[in-house]
Amino acid sequence: MEVDSENNLFQRKQSLYQSLDESFGIQKEVYRGQQYSQIYFARLHLMRTLLYSLVPNWKSHLPVCTILGLEEGKECIIVGTLYKYMKLKPSILDEYSKERSASPLVQRHNFMHPDDNLVLEDESGRVKLSGCLLLPSKYVTGIIIALHGKETSAGDFLVDDILEAGLPQQIERPIQLGEDKYVVFISGLSVGRSSSNPLQFQLFVDHITGHLGDEKEQNIAAQIVQVVIAGNSVEVPHGLLNGQNLGSKDQSRLFEPIKELDILLTQIAASIPLDIMPGSSDPANFSLPQQPLHRCLFPGSSAYNTFRSCTNPHCFELDNIRFLGTSGQNIDDLGKYSEANNNVEFMERTLRWRHLAPTAPNTLGCYPFTDRDPFYVETCPHVYFVGNQDKYESSLIKGSEGQMVRLICIPRFAETGVAVVVESHGANRYALC
Amino acid sequence: MNNGNSRKRLAPAKPSPQQQQKHHAAMEEEDLDEDVFLEETLLQYEEDSQVLREFEEHNALNERLQKWKRPPLSQAYISQTQSILFQQLEIDYIIGESHKELLPNSSGPAAILRIFGVTKEGNSVCCHVHGFEPYFYISCPPGMGPDDISRFHQILEGRMREANRNSNVPKFVRRIEVVQKRSIMYYQQQASQPFLKIVVALPTMVTSCRGILDRGIQIEGLGMKSFLTYESNVLFALRFMIDRNIVGGNWIEVPVGKYKKAARNLSYCQLEFDCLYSDLISHSPEGEFSKMAPFRILSFDIECAGRKGHFPEPTQDPVIQVANLVTLQGQDQPLIQNVMTLKSCSPIVGVDVMSFDTEKEVLRAWRDFIREVDPDIIIGYNICNFDLPYLIRRAEVLGMAEFPVLGRIRNSRVRVKDATFSSRQHGTRESKEITIEGRVQFDVFQAVQRDYKLSSYSLNSVSAHFLNEQKEDVHHSIISDLQNGNSETRRRLAVYCLKDAYLPQRLLDKLMFIYNYVEMARVTGVPISFLLSRGQSIKVLSQLLRKAKQRNLVIPNAKQAGSEQGTFEGATVLDARVGFYEKPIATLDFASLYPSIMMAYNLCYCTLVTPEEVRKLNLPPECVNKTPSGETFVKSNLQKGILPEILEELLAARKRAKADLKEATDPRVKAVLDGRQLALKISANSVYGFTGATVGQLPCLEISSSVTSYGRQMIEHTKKLVEDKFTILGGYEHNAEVIYGDTDSVMVQFGVPAVEEAMKLGKEAADYISGTFIKPIRLEFEKIYYPYLLISKKRYAGLLWTNPDKHDKMDAKGIETVRRDNCLLVKNLVTECLYKILVDRDVPGAVQYVKNTISDLLLNRMDLSLLVITKGLTKTGDDYEVKAAHVELAERMRKRDAATAPSIGDRVPYVIIKAAKGAKAYEKSEDPIYVLENNIPIDPQYYLDNQISKPLLRIFEPILKNASKELLQGDHIRSISIPTPSNSGIMKFAKKQLTCIGCKALISGSDRTICNHCKGREAELYCRSVANVAELENLFGRLWTQCQECQGSLHQDVLCTSRDCPIFYRRKKAQKDMAEAKNQLDRWNF
Repeated sequence: MEVDSENNLFQRKQSLYQSLDESFGIQKEVYRGQQYSQIYFARLHLMRTLLYSLVPNWKSHLPVCTILGLEEGKECIIVGTLYKYMKLKPSILDEYSKERSASPLVQRHNFMHPDDNLVLEDESGRVKLSGCLLLPSKYVTGIIIALHGKETSAGDFLVDDILEAGLPQQIERPIQLGEDKYVVFISGLSVGRSSSNPLQFQLFVDHITGHLGDEKEQNIAAQIVQVVIAGNSVEVPHGLLNGQNLGSKDQSRLFEPIKELDILLTQIAASIPLDIMPGSSDPANFSLPQQPLHRCLFPGSSAYNTFRSCTNPHCFELDNIRFLGTSGQNIDDLGKYSEANNNVEFMERTLRWRHLAPTAPNTLGCYPFTDRDPFYVETCPHVYFVGNQDKYESSLIKGSEGQMVRLICIPRFAETGVAVVVESHGANRYALC
Repeated sequence: MNNGNSRKRLAPAKPSPQQQQKHHAAMEEEDLDEDVFLEETLLQYEEDSQVLREFEEHNALNERLQKWKRPPLSQAYISQTQSILFQQLEIDYIIGESHKELLPNSSGPAAILRIFGVTKEGNSVCCHVHGFEPYFYISCPPGMGPDDISRFHQILEGRMREANRNSNVPKFVRRIEVVQKRSIMYYQQQASQPFLKIVVALPTMVTSCRGILDRGIQIEGLGMKSFLTYESNVLFALRFMIDRNIVGGNWIEVPVGKYKKAARNLSYCQLEFDCLYSDLISHSPEGEFSKMAPFRILSFDIECAGRKGHFPEPTQDPVIQVANLVTLQGQDQPLIQNVMTLKSCSPIVGVDVMSFDTEKEVLRAWRDFIREVDPDIIIGYNICNFDLPYLIRRAEVLGMAEFPVLGRIRNSRVRVKDATFSSRQHGTRESKEITIEGRVQFDVFQAVQRDYKLSSYSLNSVSAHFLNEQKEDVHHSIISDLQNGNSETRRRLAVYCLKDAYLPQRLLDKLMFIYNYVEMARVTGVPISFLLSRGQSIKVLSQLLRKAKQRNLVIPNAKQAGSEQGTFEGATVLDARVGFYEKPIATLDFASLYPSIMMAYNLCYCTLVTPEEVRKLNLPPECVNKTPSGETFVKSNLQKGILPEILEELLAARKRAKADLKEATDPRVKAVLDGRQLALKISANSVYGFTGATVGQLPCLEISSSVTSYGRQMIEHTKKLVEDKFTILGGYEHNAEVIYGDTDSVMVQFGVPAVEEAMKLGKEAADYISGTFIKPIRLEFEKIYYPYLLISKKRYAGLLWTNPDKHDKMDAKGIETVRRDNCLLVKNLVTECLYKILVDRDVPGAVQYVKNTISDLLLNRMDLSLLVITKGLTKTGDDYEVKAAHVELAERMRKRDAATAPSIGDRVPYVIIKAAKGAKAYEKSEDPIYVLENNIPIDPQYYLDNQISKPLLRIFEPILKNASKELLQGDHIRSISIPTPSNSGIMKFAKKQLTCIGCKALISGSDRTICNHCKGREAELYCRSVANVAELENLFGRLWTQCQECQGSLHQDVLCTSRDCPIFYRRKKAQKDMAEAKNQLDRWNF
C-alpha cells in the first residue's frame, strides 16, 4: 500500500492466513434437549485417553483404577474430572430464597472460601480428595487430571502426586527468514461507552495504517500483516433490548456505536487484514464458543475481503505460525473461582490442562455439545492471547518437548490505550500506546 | 326392629370402608387398652434352629452385622452387683403368667409391664414389672357396708364372667376396697367421701367392667343401679406411670438385689430382668437425670419398583432397595450407613452396599440388621404410612412369616392396625398404627406436619425449607427403569435412596425433634409414642390425673357430651379501623392470657359451683368470683383449683428453664432446656383447650366460656383505659386510639411520630394497665409496628420494631404469603408489594411493580412456574362430587400416558389455559409440561381475576383511593400476546408462513428474514434477536448446571423431576425457548 508517493514507498507485507475456527462453529448444532453431561463425557474421554498414554512414563509401576474400583489403602492412579465444592458459589436458587437478604447485592470478584474442597469424578462415581498437595485454590471444576494416591479409611482419596496433561504437541516453527512481520492485538474498544475516547482509537487506526509518524514508524506499520480485535468492541445500551418496539430515536441510539465502529474498521480493513472476535459486551450470543458478529452490523467494512468476522475462541495460522486466543471470558472466570499471581499464570494453566475453558459449562456459559469438546487444545499454539484484561502482561513458556508459547494478556483499550504488537514469529512483542 | 331383614340386606356386602371409618371416628377420643397375650404373638417355630440355619446361609452378612452390635455389658452388670439405671423410652404391657417368685400369692394370667430403655453405657434394657394391677373407682352408694360390698363383688364377678366367657381367668374382679376420695367435679365442702376401688385382673376388664356398671346392675336392697365410673378411661401403662411417678423418657433405677435376671430371655435386650413395681425408683428429670442416654436412631427408606402408571402396591411391586442410617443420640456422624439392594449394585464410597439376588433375602437381611443394630428409635419420612406397612405387607405376600419380627421381643411379630387420628387442631388423618415392641417410631413427616405450617410437605420441599438443600426427585416411573438397568443405574438409585434416609436424620437434628419431644413427654408425663399418635388432650389428662392423685381427687369418666352441648362465644376481636398507618403503632400483648385468667380467677373443675349449690351453700360474695359468663367459682382461699396449680407449675418451670437456658453453655444442655421451655409453653396453652373440647376427656364449658368471657372483658377494659388515660386532656401530646384488638393483643396508635416515644408510651400503658388486673394477668408491651397496614380483622402487615434504631423484620398475618392453593405469582407479588410499601415506603413503586407484573402476565412473559397451582389428588374422579380441575387433569393425563400421570396421593400441578368460550373452569386445567411443550396459551385473565386481583385489592384499598381502577385498568392491560398453540385444533390446518422479524409482515420465500420496508433496521433487529439468545443462553447454562450440582454428578444426565423445585419448569422452558431462539437467529444466516 502506498503511504507516501514522493520518496519512500512502503509496501505492506503479506502473509499466508489460514483460519482454524471451524471447530468453534455451532451453525449446524441444534438444541434438542441435550444436557451438559455429554460435553463432560466427551472431555473425559478425550483427556483420559491422553493421560493414560502418559501414565507409563510417569509412574508405570502403579495400577490405574476407576473411582469405583478404589480399595482402601491401595496405592493407585485415578483419572477423572475435578469438581470443586464452593461455599460461596452463587446459585440460581438463591433467587428463590425465602427471605430477602439483608446483605447488599454487590457482585463479588471472587467466590473462594477456605472451606472449598475438591472431588474427582468419573462415570463410576465421585471421591473426595484430601492431602495438602492438591490446592483447591488453584484448581477449578472441569479439569481432567490423573492423581496418584490411596483411599483412606474415611473414604477420601489421599493425593500423593498429580499429573496434568501438559502442553500439547506444537507444529514445527517455520525457519525464520529474517523478515519482520507483526500482528497487532487490540481489545475492549468499547465504542459507545460514555467514557471511551474516539480520538484515541482514531490515532491507533492512523498509526497502524501508516498515516502517522515518521518514516521509521511507517516502516514498522508496513510490517503489520494482521490486526486482531479480541472482543468487546462496542457497548450497546442494554436497556433498549428488552423486546419492546423502539422509537426511531432509540433505534439510532442503539445503532450509533455500531456505525461508528464500522467506519473505523473500514479504515483498517482498507489497508490491513482484520479479524474481529465477539466478546461479552458485543451483540453476539452469550455462551462459548461465541459465533462471529453478523456482517449486517458492518455494512462498510464487510465489503472488504480483508475483513473477517471470527468466533471466540479464535484460532488461525499465519505463515504456519499458530495463534489461539479468546476475548477473555475463560480467564475472567478462572479469576472468580481460583487464584493465581497474575493472569498470565491462569493462561499457562489452561494450556497445561490442555483446556481453554475448563469452567465451561459449570460457571461459564457454553453450548451443550454432544459429541466433542471444542475447547480441548489439541495442538499447541505459538501465540496464545486473551483479550480484555486489566493490564498488559506477557511471558514465554516452554514445554517439555521444546514447545515455546508466547502468552499475551491484551488490556482493555478504552481504559489503557494499549494495543499489543507481536512479531509474527512470536518471539518478540511490545506494547503500543 | 326388623333384624332379619336388615341382616339379609347386609349379608352379601362386605362392610364398606366408610362404615369402618365411622366406627373408628366414633372411638377416636376413647383410648382403649388392648390386651396382648404373650403366647399369641409368638411364632410357632423353634427360633434357635432358625438362627443356626441362617447363620450358615449368611455367614458373611452375619460377620458384618456383628460389627454393629451394642457395646458389651460391663462385669458389674453381669454379676448383678450394680443397680440398673436407664432412660426409659417405651412402656407397654403384656399378659402372661404372674411371676411365681416375686408374687408367690397370685396365679393365673396377669398384666406384666415392660419398660424398654437404654443405660448410659448404651446397653439396651428390658424390664418386666410385676404386681401392678389395673383398677378404677366408683362412688360408693351411701349405706353400703362391708357385707354389701362382698355381695356386690360377687354380683359383679358373675356379670363379668358372663361377658368374658372365653377367658380362663380364675378371678375377674380381684378385690374391691373402700377408699376415701373426692370427685374433682364441683366445689364440695366435705373433704372426702367413700369410693370403691375395683381392682380387676386384666387391663381390658376395666372397660368391660365399666360397661356393666354403666348399664347398671341389680343389687339386692338397692335395685337396678348404674354407676358413674371414675378414672376408668386411663390406659394401663399411663396408670402405672402416674402411680409410680414416671414421666415419659425419664431415668429409672432398679436397685441391686431387687431385680432377678430372667430365666429365659424373651427379648433381644442385653439386660433383661424381672422386678416388682414397688421397687422401681423413678428419677425426676433434673440435673444429672435431665441428660439423654446414647440411644440408637435408625433412619431408613425403601424403594419399590412400581409398574407404569400405578403407585407401588405391596401385593405386586417388589421392594428393591432399603437404605439405613444409624446414629447415636448426641453424635454428629452416623454410626452405620448402608444400603441393601436387589441385584448387584456398584459400590458407593463410605457406604456399605449389600446386594442380594432375591427380594426375600433383602427383606431378611433388613430384619437381621434391625435385630443386630437394635435401634431404640426408628425414624424416616412417612414410614408409618408407607415404608413400614409396605414392608410388612410385602413380606406377607412373599410368604415370609418370619419377617415381621422387628421388635425387641423374640419371635414376636409386629402388629398393624388402621387408626384414625383426629383432633381439632390437626384435623382428621388416617394412618396405620404399627406396634414394634420396644422401639419408638418417630415419623418425621408426621412431626413436621404437626408442628409446622408449610405449603408442601414433600421431603424435597421440607428439606429445602429447613436445610436449604434441594433434593433430587426421581419419579417413580423411572425407578423401575433404573432397577432394570445395570449395577451402575442401581447404584444411582441407591444414592438417591440413601439421601432419603439421610435427610430425615438431618431434619431430626436441625429441628431438635428428639430434645423437644422427650422434653414434652417429661413435662406432660406421657410416653413419647403418645405424642405423635395422639392429640393434645391426653397430655393435659395425664397432668390432671397426676395432680388429682396428690390431692386425693378422682376424675369422673364423663360421658361423651358430643357437640350438641353447643358452643360458646369465642374470643373477641375489636373492630379493625382499616387503613394504612404511617405513625408507630404499639402492640400491647397479654402474656399467656388464658392460662393467667385461669390462675387469676381460680377457674377449675373443683372450684366450680353449680347454680343449685350457690343457692344452697350461700357462700359469702367475697369468697366467690362470678364470671362475666354467669358462672360461679370459689376463690382460692376456700379451695385452690387444680388447673391453676398445674398452670402455675408449668409457668414457673418455664421461667426456671428460661433462666437456666440463659446460663447454660453446653449446646446439648441448651437444646434440652429450650425444648423444655417450649414444651411447657405449649402445655400451658393447651389446658384451656382441654376444658373446651366438647368431644374430649373431660369437657367443662363453664370453665372455657368463663375464660373467653374474661378475655373479652379484658380487651375492652384495656381499650377503655388507654383511650381514657392517654389524651390531650390527660397531659399527653396526642389522643391515643385503639385501632384494633385481637384475642390477646391490642394495637394502639399513640399519635407520636417517633418509634422511641411510642415505645416509651407503650411501656407506660402496659405497666399502668397491668396494675389494674388481678395477678398474674399482665399486659406486656412488646413491639411497635411502623408503618402498619391494617387490612381487616386478622389481616395485617407491618414492619416490626423491638428496638428504636432498626426494624427487625416485616411481619404479615393472614395475607396470601403461605396459602398453598395460590400460585407462586400471588405470593411473590404480595410480598414484593408489601416490601415496597412498608420498607421502601414507595407506594407509586409498588403500583408500578403491580402494573409491570400484570403487563408481563398479559404479554406471556411470565415464568410458568409462578403460575402453577398444586392440589393433592386424594380420590379418583368418580369419588369427587364436583368436578375439580386437578382431578379432571389427572384423568386426561392418564389417557395420554398412564406411566407419568399422577396417581392417588400425588400432588397435581396445573396451570389454567385459554379454552373455548364458556368452557368450565375445571376443563381449563392443563399439565404445565404439556403447556410448555405445545405452546399452549395460558389464560392471563383467569390469573388476573381469580388469583391476583383480590389479594392485591385487599392490600391497596386502604392505601389508594381507586385501587381497582388504578391497578387493574389502564395502559398496561391493553397489550396482550398469546402464543400460537403448535398442535391443537385449527392450527393443524393452518399454513405456516414466515413473517418479517421487524414488522410481522408476511414475506415470501424462506430465505429472507425481513421485509423490504424493514431493510434499514437490519442491524437493530439483529441486535435484538441476538440479545434475546444471549439472555436465554445465560439462563440455560445456569439452570442446567444447578441441576447437575443438586444431582451431584457431572457425567450423568439430570433425571430429576421434582415439581416442587422452583426451577423445574424454568429449566424445561429454557430448553425449549433456546431451541426456538436459535432457530430464529439462524434465519439471519442467509
